Amino acid sequence: MARPVGPDGVPGPFHPFFIGLGGALLMAALFTDYMYSSNALMQWSNFSAWLITGGLVLALIAVIVLLIDFAIGRARLIRWLDFALVGVAAILSLVNVFVHTRDAWTTVMPTGITLSLIVTILLLPAGLRGWRVTATRVPAPGERA
Amino acid sequence: MNGTRLRAAAAPLVLALVAACSGQGGDPARQYGPDPMLPEPHQYLLPPMSVPKVVGWKSGEAPTVPAGMRIQAMATGLMHPRIVYTLPNGDILVVESNSPGSKPFRPKDYIQGKVKARAGAAAKGGNRITLLRDADGDGVPELKTVLLDHLHSPYGVAWVAGTLYVANTDAILAFPFTPGQTQITAPGTKLTDLPAGPIDHHWTKAMVASPDGSKLYVGVGSNSNITENGMDVEEGRAAIYEVDRLTGAKRIYASGTRNPTNLAIQPGTGQLFAVVNERDEIGPDLVPDYLSSIKDGGFYGWPYSYWGQHVDVRVHPQKPEMVAKAIKPDYGLSSHVAALGVTFSQGETLSPQFADGAFVGEHGSWDRDPLNGYQVIFVPFVNGRPSGAPIPVVTDFLAPGHKTVRGRPVGVTLDRTGALLIADDVGNVVWRVSGTAHR
Repeated sequence: MARPVGPDGVPGPFHPFFIGLGGALLMAALFTDYMYSSNALMQWSNFSAWLITGGLVLALIAVIVLLIDFAIGRARLIRWLDFALVGVAAILSLVNVFVHTRDAWTTVMPTGITLSLIVTILLLPAGLRGWRVTATRVPAPGERA
Repeated sequence: MNGTRLRAAAAPLVLALVAACSGQGGDPARQYGPDPMLPEPHQYLLPPMSVPKVVGWKSGEAPTVPAGMRIQAMATGLMHPRIVYTLPNGDILVVESNSPGSKPFRPKDYIQGKVKARAGAAAKGGNRITLLRDADGDGVPELKTVLLDHLHSPYGVAWVAGTLYVANTDAILAFPFTPGQTQITAPGTKLTDLPAGPIDHHWTKAMVASPDGSKLYVGVGSNSNITENGMDVEEGRAAIYEVDRLTGAKRIYASGTRNPTNLAIQPGTGQLFAVVNERDEIGPDLVPDYLSSIKDGGFYGWPYSYWGQHVDVRVHPQKPEMVAKAIKPDYGLSSHVAALGVTFSQGETLSPQFADGAFVGEHGSWDRDPLNGYQVIFVPFVNGRPSGAPIPVVTDFLAPGHKTVRGRPVGVTLDRTGALLIADDVGNVVWRVSGTAHR
């Protein structure tokens, strides 16, 4: 099995895979929310509910894997910007999954799709920055991670 | 350090969730009658609920009845009894039944399944009709036997001119039957299909015969709370049908009745009445369930609006022209009582105060805190219309403290002597309440 390797040649962390997978599901929910908003076919809203649920399950797994990354030395420091982007997206998604348990039109409109949009806006930069919330390099004295 | 940060971030969310759950219901008395108080609807993250745990009846326990009246368990050990029906010869039919079950659509459905199971609504139904014979009228049946077995989630029954009609969830079956018979072995013939699967959210098919016996009225509930399973599956649902007894030809008699859980014919006038369960998840005091006369061709609002012209924003697309047509029901029973049974009194058989009016079995639900329903009430009538506050008749189905539930009343009827019979589907009991006239 190919081992993830960081830019500095040190083996990279495992958690970005799970954050990326979960993030993809959460962003896909924006699309299914949009479809429901345009055609009012409930199945699109049901898709959203499943996608957000799946994203949250993967977020939970990602937290566990993140702890493992720290435990086995594949992560040393939290990159707070990335951590905040992903963390806030996860918390908003937890609210969003409850919004999606409402019935019919208000599963999505207007709160659900708004939350899905904000989550997507938060996750896009997190994804472009590599879905990674940690650094492996030990900072030089006086340097911020 | 990581953990504390996460907890700190999660705290406002948890507070928001708790706040969203704390909607307490007000005094149900504000919602009795023709003009119930209707608060503003709310959308919740978690709708307020309270799920009492099922404990059943211990030996010697029984619901409470007013002083001077007597309650006894007429039959026990039944399999989820829902409907009681008295034949012309005095024999009593007990329909033992439960939902045929449905497949989950979304994550919420799994959670709701767990809630239902805790509240005792997931128990297996007998899919059969048991006959009780109490020839001497002392409330102790001399005979208890299975009249008809292997039905498919049956609910309504009606006997007309040598034929017993049984409303399964998917069809009305007709069986040749003479009162006095204690077993039916003849296969039934199908009179007509009824709207059923694959979802069959509100599965019960209440049924009553017209006064002249020519028609059967059948209640068909909606396929969702408020169209969350899609508009297409609501075709022909949330309606009361009129079925020709001989040909099986049927038409929609009234519509917009979300879940018409039982029907009764008013003595004297022949007017059709229904108890209807209204929508959930927009607040502990929305929307009142109701008892109403049912007009031929009438539209009662579901899904577009409730209690006349109160628009439900969860329905899309909305239909203002249907909202304009919606009839206000006659009498609010207050919210989330889950009225499942209705029968008219026949004079002073129980007590002079119950001479003119209707008994309503309130199953109770978990969509409200504090709980509401879980009792049998009497709605007094004046000049043929429900009028005045309801009178509790059979109470304490909830154990003291209201944290556990011993039984839940469903169908109600009067027996040959005028005693009130109640099917209790969680206690698996048929209760008999006899009154002053019986002593």
